[in-house]
Amino acid sequence: MDRLFGRSRGVSETLVAPAQEAPSEADLAFDRLYRECRDDLYSYVAGLLRDRVAAEDVTATAFERAYRKRARFDPRRGERRAWLFGIARNAALDELRRRGRSASLAAEPCDVDGARPDEGALESERRLAVSAALGTLAPGERELIALKFFAGLSNAEIAAVIGVSESNAGTRLHRAVTKLREA
Amino acid sequence: MESSRKDDRLSATLEALRPVPAPAFAAGLDERAAAGFPRREGAGGSPWAAFADRMRSLSPRQVLLPSVATAFVAVVVATALVATNQPGTRLNIDTSGAAKQDTGGSTSGLLNKFSPSAPSGGVSESSAQPEAAEAEARLGHAPNLGAGAAPTSAAAHRDVERSAQVVLGAEPGAVAGDASQVFEAVHAARGIVLRSSVNEGSEEGAAGASFELLIPSAQLDDALGAISEIDEVLSRRDGSADITAPTIGATERLRDSQARIDSLLNELAVADTVIEREAVEAKLRLERRRASIWRAQVATLHQRASMSHVSVRIEGGGSGSGGGSWGIGDAAGDAGHILAVAAGVTLVGLAILAPVALLVLLVLLARRTWVRLERRRALG
Repeated sequence: MDRLFGRSRGVSETLVAPAQEAPSEADLAFDRLYRECRDDLYSYVAGLLRDRVAAEDVTATAFERAYRKRARFDPRRGERRAWLFGIARNAALDELRRRGRSASLAAEPCDVDGARPDEGALESERRLAVSAALGTLAPGERELIALKFFAGLSNAEIAAVIGVSESNAGTRLHRAVTKLREA
Repeated sequence: MESSRKDDRLSATLEALRPVPAPAFAAGLDERAAAGFPRREGAGGSPWAAFADRMRSLSPRQVLLPSVATAFVAVVVATALVATNQPGTRLNIDTSGAAKQDTGGSTSGLLNKFSPSAPSGGVSESSAQPEAAEAEARLGHAPNLGAGAAPTSAAAHRDVERSAQVVLGAEPGAVAGDASQVFEAVHAARGIVLRSSVNEGSEEGAAGASFELLIPSAQLDDALGAISEIDEVLSRRDGSADITAPTIGATERLRDSQARIDSLLNELAVADTVIEREAVEAKLRLERRRASIWRAQVATLHQRASMSHVSVRIEGGGSGSGGGSWGIGDAAGDAGHILAVAAGVTLVGLAILAPVALLVLLVLLARRTWVRLERRRALG
């Protein structure tokens, strides 16, 4: 019979939650971009800086800047992924510039790193050799290797990030790989 | 074949070397991403940094619209300030030293029409006098230049000839009534009507009246006030001229002439011969004629100082004939004036801001170029 009145009983307070704004298109796009690129971006920055702490800091800074500028992204000027890597690149280069450690960084790799327990001695030796060879490359060459093999960017995306033509990016990458192989 | 295998092996080794984020870092970054990347501590929590962040987050359109709106509001406010600070009445000082008040015009006319001191729509005496005195003070002229200005203690010893022209606007049917009020005002001021002409008619433009009056200068202000209250004042023009110097000159010449006459009379009394007496009498006649002329001139000058010439005209076309009410022409004039002020304000603003903006732009460009070079250098 109580139901006839259609009224709740024993309710002492009403919780009112503010209605959340629906995320904008830019928010959704940025969320997708973050989920797709988080690890790739960190790998690229860490490969360029060869410093785990600095890489974490720069990666966070890059995402922060990109988030603040997300409304200003213009799809006519390129891919969102290239835009994000461009921001990260500037942040990483600023880090290199600020610390003046571009030379010394090459000598203190992050954990690109020692032997793993499940791999053979030969493979471990090869990893150490490649890691050491990476340290001998110039930051510009190391950047190309990081963009290609750590971040998994295509030549076109690399070209967009570093601001050269696609063929130029391919040529530079080939030179860097050759130098790495020779080293 | 061997090279390709080596490349594959290198690629595989590089991919194996790929740095991966530490789980703690990844989790922390995910949290910050979910929270909308709040500013980290120590990352510059100053209000300026927050403002800079806010500005960077805005799209160009979001920046442009408020900027344009702010500039527009600034121009409007500056225009309003400049336009309202302009004097409401234009004053021209003529070469004879008389202050002329021109009450036509655009914004000044509009301001006068809404001025509480001019309820009839024209220039009232109370609003005209302080402005005339102010203009005199600005120009450094003698205080008795303006006809409407009250005579000072210095002017009390001087002879000043004053004159006025008043144009009243009246409905055609009210011209006769207004004319009789003019007569009453002249009578009250103990003045003289030299000439008058009253044309009664019902048609606009046909009706009108004109008066040439002599009003005692001491009563001039009261008389003009009374005449101005008869109907709508379409225009009023006051004039004054200092005639102290010619009055003093004529008085002195008269005194000299009188002294010469006395001297000649003494000569005549002691003249012994007929010839001498006739010669002195001839001189006496000549000097008496001169004295008469100087006396007449002194009298004329005194009358000019004591009686003021006033010309009154009543136009039967009503307020519309003389532009007394605010119409389309006034509106166009006011709009043009305000647009000119706005253009001036904008021009001055641009003259100030353009060099500053150019300088800031150059600094920003130089900084950007320098940062690019430094980044390129950092890459080796």
